[in-house]
Amino acid sequence: MDVTVPDLGDFADVEVIDVLVKPGDTVAVDAALITLETDKATMDVPSPAAGRISAVKVKRGSKVSKGDLIVVLEAEAVADAGKPAAAAKPVASSAAAVAIAEPAPESMASSAPELIKVPDLGDFHDVDVIEVLVAVGDEVAAEQGLITLETDKATMDVPTTVAGRVVELKVAKGGTVNPGDVVAVIQPTHAKTASAASAARAAPGVAPAPVPATPQGAAPRAARPTALPQARNIDEAAFSRAHASPSVRKLARELGADLGRVQGSGQKGRITADDLKAFVKRVLTEGVPGGGLPKLPVVDFARFGPVATEKLSRIQKISGPRLHASWVNLPHVTQHDEADITELEQKRQALKGEAEKRKLKLTPLAFIMRAVALTLAEFPKFRSALSADGESLVVRNYCHLGFAADTPKGLVVPVIRDADRKDVFELAAALAGQSARARDGKLSADDVQGGVFTISSLGGIGGTYFTPIINAPEVAILGVSRSGMKPVYDGKAFQPRLMLPLSLSYDHRVIDGAEAARFITRLSATLGQVDKLVAAIP
Amino acid sequence: MSAIVKADLVVLGAGPGGYTAAFRAADLGLQVTLVERWPSLGGVCLNVGCIPSKALLHAARVIEEAKEAGEFGLDFGAPRVDLERLRGWKSKVVGKLTDGLTALAKQRKVSVVHGAGRFAGPNTLSVEGDGGTTTIEFRQCIVAAGSEPVRMPGMPDDPRIVDSTGALELESLPKSLLVIGGGIIGLEMATVYDALGVEVSVVELTETLMPGADRDLVRPLQKRIAARYRAIMLGTKVTGMTAEKDGIRVSFDGKQAPDGPQVYERVLVAVGRRPNGKAIGADKAGIAVDERGFIKVDRQMRTNVPSIFAIGDIVGQPMLAHKASHEGKVAGEVAAGHKSFFDARVVPSVAYTDPEVAWVGKTEEQAKAEGIAFEKGSFPWAASGRSLSLGRSDGLTKLLFAKDSGQVIGAGIVGTNAGDLISEVALAIELGCDAADIGLTVHPHPTLSETVAFAAEAAEGTITDLYIPRR
Repeated sequence: MDVTVPDLGDFADVEVIDVLVKPGDTVAVDAALITLETDKATMDVPSPAAGRISAVKVKRGSKVSKGDLIVVLEAEAVADAGKPAAAAKPVASSAAAVAIAEPAPESMASSAPELIKVPDLGDFHDVDVIEVLVAVGDEVAAEQGLITLETDKATMDVPTTVAGRVVELKVAKGGTVNPGDVVAVIQPTHAKTASAASAARAAPGVAPAPVPATPQGAAPRAARPTALPQARNIDEAAFSRAHASPSVRKLARELGADLGRVQGSGQKGRITADDLKAFVKRVLTEGVPGGGLPKLPVVDFARFGPVATEKLSRIQKISGPRLHASWVNLPHVTQHDEADITELEQKRQALKGEAEKRKLKLTPLAFIMRAVALTLAEFPKFRSALSADGESLVVRNYCHLGFAADTPKGLVVPVIRDADRKDVFELAAALAGQSARARDGKLSADDVQGGVFTISSLGGIGGTYFTPIINAPEVAILGVSRSGMKPVYDGKAFQPRLMLPLSLSYDHRVIDGAEAARFITRLSATLGQVDKLVAAIP
Repeated sequence: MSAIVKADLVVLGAGPGGYTAAFRAADLGLQVTLVERWPSLGGVCLNVGCIPSKALLHAARVIEEAKEAGEFGLDFGAPRVDLERLRGWKSKVVGKLTDGLTALAKQRKVSVVHGAGRFAGPNTLSVEGDGGTTTIEFRQCIVAAGSEPVRMPGMPDDPRIVDSTGALELESLPKSLLVIGGGIIGLEMATVYDALGVEVSVVELTETLMPGADRDLVRPLQKRIAARYRAIMLGTKVTGMTAEKDGIRVSFDGKQAPDGPQVYERVLVAVGRRPNGKAIGADKAGIAVDERGFIKVDRQMRTNVPSIFAIGDIVGQPMLAHKASHEGKVAGEVAAGHKSFFDARVVPSVAYTDPEVAWVGKTEEQAKAEGIAFEKGSFPWAASGRSLSLGRSDGLTKLLFAKDSGQVIGAGIVGTNAGDLISEVALAIELGCDAADIGLTVHPHPTLSETVAFAAEAAEGTITDLYIPRR
């Protein structure tokens, strides 16, 4: 096949500034053959077909015009429909596609490349890619992480499902991905059954499978719609009802504005484009529409002495606004109590041997979690959430419990599923597992969502009593401080008892003070009923 | 041979939704491949739907008007119908439009692949065409694969039993035609065949013709056709069809079923359309399709697979070309990275029967069922100078206004050109107009469009062209 210079528009006698192939080279479809430079742009002339170069007819510095022969190509059977052989399409180098796959290695004939995709991430979309762990050409083992994603709840690695060589990477650090997006193309080392289906796609006789889904010139990643943060919370029903013309509704979509919250200044309260722009400006400057908090003064601390600036960790940057939102949106009240855990501690010590046999560390937190699960069974309101419109309570009839875990990167809250169906040993195992995953930054989206109540234990560190912030949309959180021996009057004399300080913060919109007092007293009592805590789960 | 094509965006189906999506995306810079199963672009609408049916309906209208002219002293005599030339003219109208589409595609550098497309994977479409299989590797896809007529269970395979496509071919004029299904498609075809001198019967399972439209709008149509057709059988079911030498023997059951089976020379089955969601290998791409064949999408026309969109008949009712094209535009824009949403409040419906019936927004029955407090303003066309001067008095324009906001929430029009008149109310609903906005807009006199303003005035209580006693 003769590959000639395509239509260059008004240009003739264009200089060849680079020749990218030599005789004997194998090229893929759209692989650049030569680079031309006009006074307007440089452009690559791509190969119209895959094949082997048998002769190169131009050299660097020569001048070419439309129709001039560039190379002679022994094309493979794969024709690129819609692109006649002699009419290669010029591609401006700025938009030109990235490297095309290398010539097919031997293994390619037996198995097609695998597309590794972003798995289901739960409710998350447009998730940040914070790390790319491999490079094109790397050999990877099955289950090896390719990229690291970070949602506002957790970071996680996306592993490859097959062992092989990384042929192409579809994501870059700093980009965002959604479930189903292709992360990388992996050329499997060994043909495996799973790839048979995709291999079957290629027609017989077409040995090197093309690199899938890489149309040249396309850059949808960058073009992907990225809505303003508030766009995700748009009240669609109110948006539809809003008194605004179609053009204003369109503008609202472009700005990601929640039209239902915009006050109209036009005739009969009609929302005008100016109303919308003013609303967006206000949201951007004040953060929350209609209100806003007084600003803190900006201080130049360096004026008073040497300073060092440390960037907040990503987790801190994410958890900060969430804690703040809970603090300003939920009317918090904190109720304190002391639980007598003298017997509990004796039992815990007594069970240590058995725990060791099971290769477990039986922590006080496992017992506290068990007691919380038992108490929550009696107080359904404490595992509820307020509906978005504030009109109803959603009582969760399951008992997934979160616990605050301190990690080098910041505070995370892993969740133990169905904590009410686990005995203290199982809870201890689950706690150890989740803590380890949290420390290693390996928590998945599943690991950090669905909780109904959270426990924040500072018992290992010290202090008595604190006022934990509720992990909204939950309605209560238990803070646990360090236990200590205290004289407790039993009616006749003071006895030394091991007392555990408890702090229960609750959302006063949902729970009133009497209920909270009942809950914490019940919890304290349960912590004293050791047999109940260690009883087998029915 | 097999070929492999790569595309930023592939659009499956070149009907009004598909080609709009493809063209819009191409205009926004995407490299687009359009896949179409039939040789010409335009889908059902242009080739075997809206356009050819409207051409034939126009012919029917001319026949009727010539006949009506006899009443005011213009006698043209009985028409001589040259079926071959009528068909030829219809095909020419269709050809002009589909050729136009081909040219529009070329100008935009949208490449067209002919053949039946099925997904082979989440980024792969396999197209079986005359020349072999083309594999399209795409980044994004818009599914616009449309719908097809529903077949009745157990109906015999006989050329005299046709669907809307067959009826539009107009191969010959039978003596008698039974239309099964009294919806828009069935009644439009009944209008054509009736005007061409065929004895038409209509059978409808539900209690009303044109289910979905308000009764008072259907009444003028029903009155007119009841006098012209052999039978209109409502609340009646077809229980069996057998092909016989002298025609199709059809047995009925129900309220208005005739005594014993009847024989018809031709039968048109127009009992609805079914989405093609199950015919495209959606599972290979992981697209969720419900048991009826519909694909669920969000307001940006995205399916459960973020890189795949779906639009038109395949995503749900109403199965109308103008809904599909607007959805197509949204999908094309979103695929190109724009923040577009399908935010239209209403989609108008039109039946090109004689008289035409059109409605938009809430119908009266809907508003009542949903418990919406509303005011009604109606204007009967018997009081319209323009309608009377057209020789017709059988029209009605009706507007519904929400009691709380005063905004217009729906309209129904029956009468000549109702389909053209309804657009004004669609705009009014999108803009949130109230009765005064419409009534105080000066409408030209004498026109049919005036009836919209009069209906608004009737709601306002400011009308002078009617006398409405004070409440």
